[in-house]
Amino acid sequence: MKVKLLQGSQSKKIENAIFISVLLFIYKIVFPITETITLLIINELLILLSVFAWVNYVSEFINPKLSKPISLIINTGILNALVFFIISISSWLFSEAQNSITNSNIIYVLFSTIIVFVFIGSLAYIFSVYKNLCFHRQKKAPTVYFNTMIVFFLLTSISASFVNPITKVVDLEIIVDSDNNFLFSAFYVVTICLIFMNSLRVAWIAFLNKKQKLALLIISIVLSVLSWTNFSTLSTDEFDLIRTFSPALEQLLSLVMVYGAIYFTVIFFTTLFHLPTAEAIDRKSEELTSVKDLSILMNQVFDFEELSETITSTTLKVSNSDAAWLIINEKDKIDLHSIVGLGIIDANLISEFLIKNNLLSTSEVSITDLTQFDKKYKLPKSIKSIVAAPLSVHNFNKGFLFAARKTSRIFEDEDSKPVGTFAGFAAVALENAKLLEESIEKERLEKELDVAREVQYKILPQNNPDYKNLEISSLFVPAFEVGGDYYDFFKIDKNRLGIVIADVSGKGIEAAFIMAEVKGIFASLSRLYDSPKDLLIMANSILEDSISRKSFVTAIYGIVDLEKETFNFARAGHSPLLYYNGRNITKLVPKGMGLGLDYTNKFANTIKEMEIKLNNNDIITLFTDGINESLNEELEEYGYSRLEEIIKNNAELAVEELSNRIMKSVTTFSRNHSQHDDITLVLFKWKSHKNYKGEN
Amino acid sequence: MAEFDVGRHGVGSVSVLNVKGFLDAHTAPELENAFNGLVDDKQYKVVVNFGNLKYISSAGLGVFMAYVETMRENGGDIKFCGLKEDVYNIFDLLGFPLLYEFYKDEKTAIDKYTQG
Repeated sequence: MKVKLLQGSQSKKIENAIFISVLLFIYKIVFPITETITLLIINELLILLSVFAWVNYVSEFINPKLSKPISLIINTGILNALVFFIISISSWLFSEAQNSITNSNIIYVLFSTIIVFVFIGSLAYIFSVYKNLCFHRQKKAPTVYFNTMIVFFLLTSISASFVNPITKVVDLEIIVDSDNNFLFSAFYVVTICLIFMNSLRVAWIAFLNKKQKLALLIISIVLSVLSWTNFSTLSTDEFDLIRTFSPALEQLLSLVMVYGAIYFTVIFFTTLFHLPTAEAIDRKSEELTSVKDLSILMNQVFDFEELSETITSTTLKVSNSDAAWLIINEKDKIDLHSIVGLGIIDANLISEFLIKNNLLSTSEVSITDLTQFDKKYKLPKSIKSIVAAPLSVHNFNKGFLFAARKTSRIFEDEDSKPVGTFAGFAAVALENAKLLEESIEKERLEKELDVAREVQYKILPQNNPDYKNLEISSLFVPAFEVGGDYYDFFKIDKNRLGIVIADVSGKGIEAAFIMAEVKGIFASLSRLYDSPKDLLIMANSILEDSISRKSFVTAIYGIVDLEKETFNFARAGHSPLLYYNGRNITKLVPKGMGLGLDYTNKFANTIKEMEIKLNNNDIITLFTDGINESLNEELEEYGYSRLEEIIKNNAELAVEELSNRIMKSVTTFSRNHSQHDDITLVLFKWKSHKNYKGEN
Repeated sequence: MAEFDVGRHGVGSVSVLNVKGFLDAHTAPELENAFNGLVDDKQYKVVVNFGNLKYISSAGLGVFMAYVETMRENGGDIKFCGLKEDVYNIFDLLGFPLLYEFYKDEKTAIDKYTQG
């Protein structure tokens, strides 16, 4: 909407400007010579109006280009040069012709009109630039002074047309008198004073960088000289092309030239005085922009390497150094990062030297002159002085940011400040990266845990086998991290049921996958071996090729024979089996090493098989060490005796209920301590009074 | 969970690792590092003192299994000493006494190397 309005006003402005120019052109064709005072006044009014219209239009273009004042000034310079060129050419061309050809000659009028339009255009552009520059970067817009100046420009110009002797006004004698001359001089003096006042508006110079200031210095002196030249040429009697056309325009042009000459002289000196501080201002502004850029970057980039590279390279630039790098304290060494301007070996040498000799402070930025040490410590000779700023996260030193100079110019306090600022950024970046890494790691672990848990659940049996004279209960409580517990039932044939309980060493995904493998081994071997001992010996030898040296599996494998009413089992390193015979409870621990511990014949030589004759209400309890190793807040273990007591005291309960009682007791015991291992509990009770003719 | 710490000192040609606290799946890597250090330094005669160990999990036991072969292949061994009863029971259930030598105190374990 706003853009549209602006465009609308712009097209209207150009319409106005063209309309007045055309009007002026026609007027000039009709009245080439201003013979009466009325004609003169109309002529001057048209001229000034067209100048005004063009200035108004051009200003719109210049405003958005103010961010590049130098290019605007160069444009002004070109137009000034054009004015100079036209003046020189035309005065040379017309010096002879003028006298022979009468002023009323149509060709002369046409030609001079075109040239005058070029002058009006140049004048409009130059003046607009001056006007905009005057207001640019000024705290308070000096509108009053400037507008007053414009008014006096007009007054001086108009009064000039009445005192001009060349104007061929018939009743000139009446008008040109001493009063008028005095009026013109008064206006002129005030105008010059106002020009001086407005020329002091050069605030925008301070915002240029050093390079721009140097360029401005040269341009301003050239322009100043050019403006003076134009002014003096305009004032001479030899060049009267514009004067015959319109004395006011000539006066206005010469005033603008005076303004330019004075303004550029002021600019020249101001720039000259600004030059010594230009570098410092440049650096300050660069520091500010870098800080701004970095804070934006910090919110977008989380990769520490990428950020630290930006940090060291900006440090290098802003602190005027030749090399910069970061060190991060690791456990018992230092890590160098993002080295710019120096080899890693040298950077390492210097860093280590500074640390060993306690030349670094963990609380403030420190400056070290290396030239006093380099001979004694064999430091790289290229580096003369160094600034080190600590990277502190929550008052804890994480490393340092270094900036080094190869020149003999030692660092001063002023140089060290930006290094401190960027060290702050590096510290935050480091912390962010660490937090992100932690959260990614956490997420990865959680994903892994989910996978492991899923594997475990899929491996464990969904239902307990159902027999008339065998009550079976199984209970599995996973720990937060999968512990590798496994149990299973295998219906070997009509009368025999294989039962396995196992615990894979380690935790997480690795344990889960070994578990899956163990399931495969037991499932297939249970069909091949009638003896639990033989089965476990075979399982051990199979595992040799498939699990790592540090992994092992403990297991109990047994077979319930429904016909013979026996439970025949062997143990491979697993927790004891509890046997309740209606009166007593016994821990049964037949000899046998864990699976995967040893692959010589030691395993086969030591493992023993045990057979229990099952009587009515006998209870066999199989479990993993998650139960007996459960800890309470005093870090006491739950142990075996508590488990034995509960079984003994609740033997009459159904196995399902008994297993719930056990679990309740374990969780009550360890309620103030997290469960750190899986808990598996498999119970079965023999019911001989029932018909034991096989499964349902 | 309480922390774990492993100290190392040498007695003649024998290196003693003092394990302290809770050795489980999370702290096992620290013990692995200690063993890696021994292998790097070609110290194959190792005595592990369990006097200050409060708890050992299956992952902790796995560390010894992972290194015992390397030690034995290089003329050394891993011998255990100073185990409290409950810690010893864990080793015993697994059948470790068939594979490793266990001693009451550190000195006897070290002497075993120097004698034999």
